[in-house]
Amino acid sequence: MLGTRLNDSGFNRVLGSAEALNHALLGTHGLAKEYPESSVDRHFRVNGFDPPMDSAYSTLMNDDFRSYRLIVDGAVENRRTFSLAQLRQLSLQTNITRHDCVEGWSAIGKFGGVRLADVLALVRPRPQARYVVFHCMDRSPEGLPYYESLDLHQARHPQALLVLDLNDRPLDADHGAPVRLRVPTQLGYKSAKWIARIEIVASFATIFSGRGGYWEDQGYEWYAGI
Amino acid sequence: MAQRPAVYRHSVATRLTHWAFFLAFLALISSGLQIFNAAPYLDASDKSDPARRVLSIDSTDAHAGITTIFGHRFVTTGFLGYADDGMGGKTDRAFPGWLTIPAYQALADGRRWHLFFAWVMVICGLLYVIVGALRGDLRELILRPGDVPKILPMQLYYLRLRKDPPPHGKYNPLQKLAYTTVLFILAPLLILTGLALSPSFDAAFHPITVVFGGRQFARLWHFVLMLLLIGFFVTHLILVATTGVINHLRSMITGRYRLGTHDGTGI
Repeated sequence: MLGTRLNDSGFNRVLGSAEALNHALLGTHGLAKEYPESSVDRHFRVNGFDPPMDSAYSTLMNDDFRSYRLIVDGAVENRRTFSLAQLRQLSLQTNITRHDCVEGWSAIGKFGGVRLADVLALVRPRPQARYVVFHCMDRSPEGLPYYESLDLHQARHPQALLVLDLNDRPLDADHGAPVRLRVPTQLGYKSAKWIARIEIVASFATIFSGRGGYWEDQGYEWYAGI
Repeated sequence: MAQRPAVYRHSVATRLTHWAFFLAFLALISSGLQIFNAAPYLDASDKSDPARRVLSIDSTDAHAGITTIFGHRFVTTGFLGYADDGMGGKTDRAFPGWLTIPAYQALADGRRWHLFFAWVMVICGLLYVIVGALRGDLRELILRPGDVPKILPMQLYYLRLRKDPPPHGKYNPLQKLAYTTVLFILAPLLILTGLALSPSFDAAFHPITVVFGGRQFARLWHFVLMLLLIGFFVTHLILVATTGVINHLRSMITGRYRLGTHDGTGI
């Protein structure tokens, strides 16, 4: 198909050059607007892949994620695993922010959880660390695992949360239970759901197709601020 | 009738940016419609809100295309809502494949085209304004208070209700009004409403999103501004077609333009 040929062409790389320009000029600055409680969409739109179907996930869900452990490893001084209870012992943050989907719609949710910056401070990225990669439990219809990545600057944004609660309730399976990412300064595909492992890396070039995320591997921009 | 002399009318910069504008305009509109197709509705609100939906392009289970504008439903099967899928068939999609880049549904590719040609448009716009300001061309294009009383007579002349155009320079008062509006009002607003859709832009410059009524409202404005720009483009084509296509095309390729009866007294 023409589209497949175009995707690998130099022309497509020329088109993609706008991404570097947008990243350099717009970057990640300032705080996303925080909304009052009255703006919250109580039935926050479900989007993305279906919840993981495998038995490992149903086992986790059946015991209320008590056996869930978030692995944080890679280029860090102090690899850690966190149970949900341990995550909840960290300083909990809440922000009511607008989720902007790349498709063009938006919805407002109340997101409660742990600052990604706080978790990074506990594991202490090594000097070579540049990116934070989120490995998820869900898969595309073709069976490819979902993953995403942020650079350290984006990951340390004060509103970037590892979300445990949506609209005052623990995340449900549809919204990414037990832990999802929430980055209100970026388009929604960055906010990965069903996170199993956070890997700190110097480069994501060797991870899957090497573009830093499932949707990035399908041709979407890594810089999702625009 | 004796031909009036040819004059050097358009600088190289004007001619190059004109054709670059034209290409970018086509690419931005068709890739923009591709992007629209991913969420084929427009709301006058900050977050998505079906209660404040101004436009939606949908299809029924029976494959009828339905376009709803301010609550009024129109059956648009074959053009909007259920149309050309860009691969030789028909499918549920808002704008048809023959209007979008790529023709088939591909949001990632549409965004690539759109964000690239947005830069082409911006860089050409800056080039056009800077070169025009340095050469002094821009002075002849910008509407001035003295031109305002001549707008109505010029419109009457176009409508053949007046024998002669009011005296004017290189561009007549209506041209000045149109170009000034496009260059200094529509284009900046198109850029700002586009940027207001961006979550990082919103975080850095939230008051601008607020001015447009929020993110979804900015998306609506972006669409309306596109329609206005298409209106300008269609008018431009009609006027070019009715006042000497060859002469205009030559002037936009070689720079040389033969003055005609429409051109008032100046060049």
